[in-house]
Amino acid sequence: MGYGMTDQRKTANRIRKFFNNDNTVGYVFAMPFILGFLGFSLIPMITSFVYSFTDMTFGAKDIHFIGLENFKELFHDSIFLKSLRVTFKYVIISVPLKLTFALLVAFLLTRKSKMVTLYRSLYYIPSLVGGSVAVALVWKQIFARKGLFNVVWKQIFGAEAAVNWFGDEKLAMYPLILMSVWQFGSSMIIFAAGLKEIPESYYEAAMIDGANGFQRFFKITLPCLSPIVLYNLIMQTISAFMVFTQAQIITEGKPNNATMMYALYVYNNAIKYSKMGYACAMSWVMLVIMSLVTFVIFKTSRKWVFSEADS
Amino acid sequence: MKKRLVAFLLAAVMVLSLTACGDKGTSENTDNDSKQEQTVTKPATDNKKNEEEKVTLRMAWWGSQTRHDRTVQVIEMYEKAHPNVKIEYEFFSFDDYFTKLKTLVASDNVWDVFQLGGNFPDYMEKIYFLNDFIKDGTIDTKKISDAYLKITQDTAGNQIGLSNGLNTYGIAYDVDMFKAAGVPLPTDTWTWDDYADAARKIKAATGHYGTSSFTSSEFNAGCSTYIGQQGSLGQYGFFNLELTGMGFTDPQMLAPYIQMRADLIKEGASPDAGAELEITNIENDFLVTGEAGMTWVAVNQFPTIYDVCEKQGRTLALATLPRVTKDGNAGSNIQSSQMLCVSKDSKHKKEAAEFISWFQNSTECNNVLQGERGIPINEDVRTALIANATAGQKIMYDYVTLVGTFPTPEKVNVLSPAGQDQVVDLYRTYIQQVVSGEITAAEAAKLTYEAAEKLFK
Repeated sequence: MGYGMTDQRKTANRIRKFFNNDNTVGYVFAMPFILGFLGFSLIPMITSFVYSFTDMTFGAKDIHFIGLENFKELFHDSIFLKSLRVTFKYVIISVPLKLTFALLVAFLLTRKSKMVTLYRSLYYIPSLVGGSVAVALVWKQIFARKGLFNVVWKQIFGAEAAVNWFGDEKLAMYPLILMSVWQFGSSMIIFAAGLKEIPESYYEAAMIDGANGFQRFFKITLPCLSPIVLYNLIMQTISAFMVFTQAQIITEGKPNNATMMYALYVYNNAIKYSKMGYACAMSWVMLVIMSLVTFVIFKTSRKWVFSEADS
Repeated sequence: MKKRLVAFLLAAVMVLSLTACGDKGTSENTDNDSKQEQTVTKPATDNKKNEEEKVTLRMAWWGSQTRHDRTVQVIEMYEKAHPNVKIEYEFFSFDDYFTKLKTLVASDNVWDVFQLGGNFPDYMEKIYFLNDFIKDGTIDTKKISDAYLKITQDTAGNQIGLSNGLNTYGIAYDVDMFKAAGVPLPTDTWTWDDYADAARKIKAATGHYGTSSFTSSEFNAGCSTYIGQQGSLGQYGFFNLELTGMGFTDPQMLAPYIQMRADLIKEGASPDAGAELEITNIENDFLVTGEAGMTWVAVNQFPTIYDVCEKQGRTLALATLPRVTKDGNAGSNIQSSQMLCVSKDSKHKKEAAEFISWFQNSTECNNVLQGERGIPINEDVRTALIANATAGQKIMYDYVTLVGTFPTPEKVNVLSPAGQDQVVDLYRTYIQQVVSGEITAAEAAKLTYEAAEKLFK
């Protein structure tokens, strides 16, 4: 009997220990994320990899394994090639613009003033409403033939000056870029945090040596901030490659596929044309391209990212 | 290390127990299903029991706000008359409807009653043929002529669904804009040249677009019809009758039409790709907003836009599709606008069929629907509706009668092969490229033909 008691106590103890274990608690709290990650990321990714070698049609049941056919077909698909060009153009123009703007605003808002927090919040608002469909619809209205932009523009420059934003192949991309630049908030917050970390003493020393504002910015602020620039550059490049909402809602890829972003073409193939296998293959090509670009950014970063440990 | 392992095992157990719960749930469901199916398949033995049993039907359709309002009203009427039936409905815009439908096909969970159009071949594996229901009288076809049943049958004679109504394409136009531009009103035998000429003159006189471009109808009503209008009656069609290949061999038969479309866009007589984006459904088409003189319509859409324009003090009329030559083929066909189908996934196929039968045959129901999906195929219903038709509806009925008098080939194919959406998108892109001078109309015709041909390879 006494034996049993100690045994019971032992197990009870073990169970209590187990539930109070840091790891157990950690995993239990992380469970929602782990489940979500498995269900919405990992498993779909694996299935999409498998589908990319098949002729799977969305809405039909029989699937045939077709090897690398999808990947071969990609390089004969003129819209695919155009969507690549268009997406690169978008990334190359929008990311630097967005980062410059974010840095500029962050820099202006480093002053010690009570209003700074208010301004920062104000500038962050566009990012809160972010990639939402509602903003895209508003944007579509603003740049429409009779939209706000043209109404104002015509007032200033006369009726002939109306700009046909979405009808002109050469112009259609810019409203989309502008919309992404306008949502500079999250990069700005990160820059602002980075700026705070730069010791005041560096600037004081530079000022004593007679450095002017520009010199202080380019010789102290930028180098000290470069690791954060790298972080923002990579995050923004990745999200720019995945741009979808604007293209889908505002232009539908028109005119003449001048705004046919990569993700939109994947969507069209998967959902509109039901070519799910082909779309999966496209997504994997996208992954490879994005990894390459990120890799190149990392490689070159050694040349321009300043870390205090090195010097 | 050990601790971590234990923690991971615990996590795994949690996950497993979750999935186990899920399994239990589904197995219970399937038990229910088989029970219900049993009762459905044995209606004769326990009919009374069946009547008392609550049945939930799921139904979906696409369309405009008018359609949504009227259909919901009709569903409520049906539920009142059949207290054992509850109908859960969903409605969508055209594109969203098919996105949702494809997801449901993939998960074997298609709505009991669903709406399909000429693109039904895509969904063949989910359509439960109505043959038996018509034979055993579940679906009443006494007042529906064979010809009208036939418009929703496949080539093997299986009843795919029951047509929601007859329909055909036409060109809706603003009478006053034609008069202001000094253009003679369209006749029954006007040609594409007359059409383009009218569009240019309207643009010159009013500054508005001569013709709008309601994107979903133009390919069928314009591009595809243009092929059927050439040669002798029934010689050509865009696709062949069996839907296994192209219905014409010379891509250049398309070129003049593509050239005309591109020219009109270039001259500002028709909206360019950017302006087209502003049209999201027929209710904000440029004809309705007063910014265009003409637009393409499937005629069931006409009464709605007629009423809207009447409120603005404008008068709309319907013209036949222009022809290639004055004495050539009309190229128009009376076809089914859409149909209601029963899905193979349905657990209550009989109840679904009963609802469809009521939907098409009840005068009371169609007095609410008002032929918004097309002209009803049931004789009595049609007579009742024509008797109380509004001005816009009257124009629609007269127009369909008129098109019915045009000589048509014995067999026509009004169906879209799987994948046509992509061809239409490419076709529009090629037109944009002709507009920008990147390719010629002849090249665009060749590319469009090749893209369409590829569907069958």
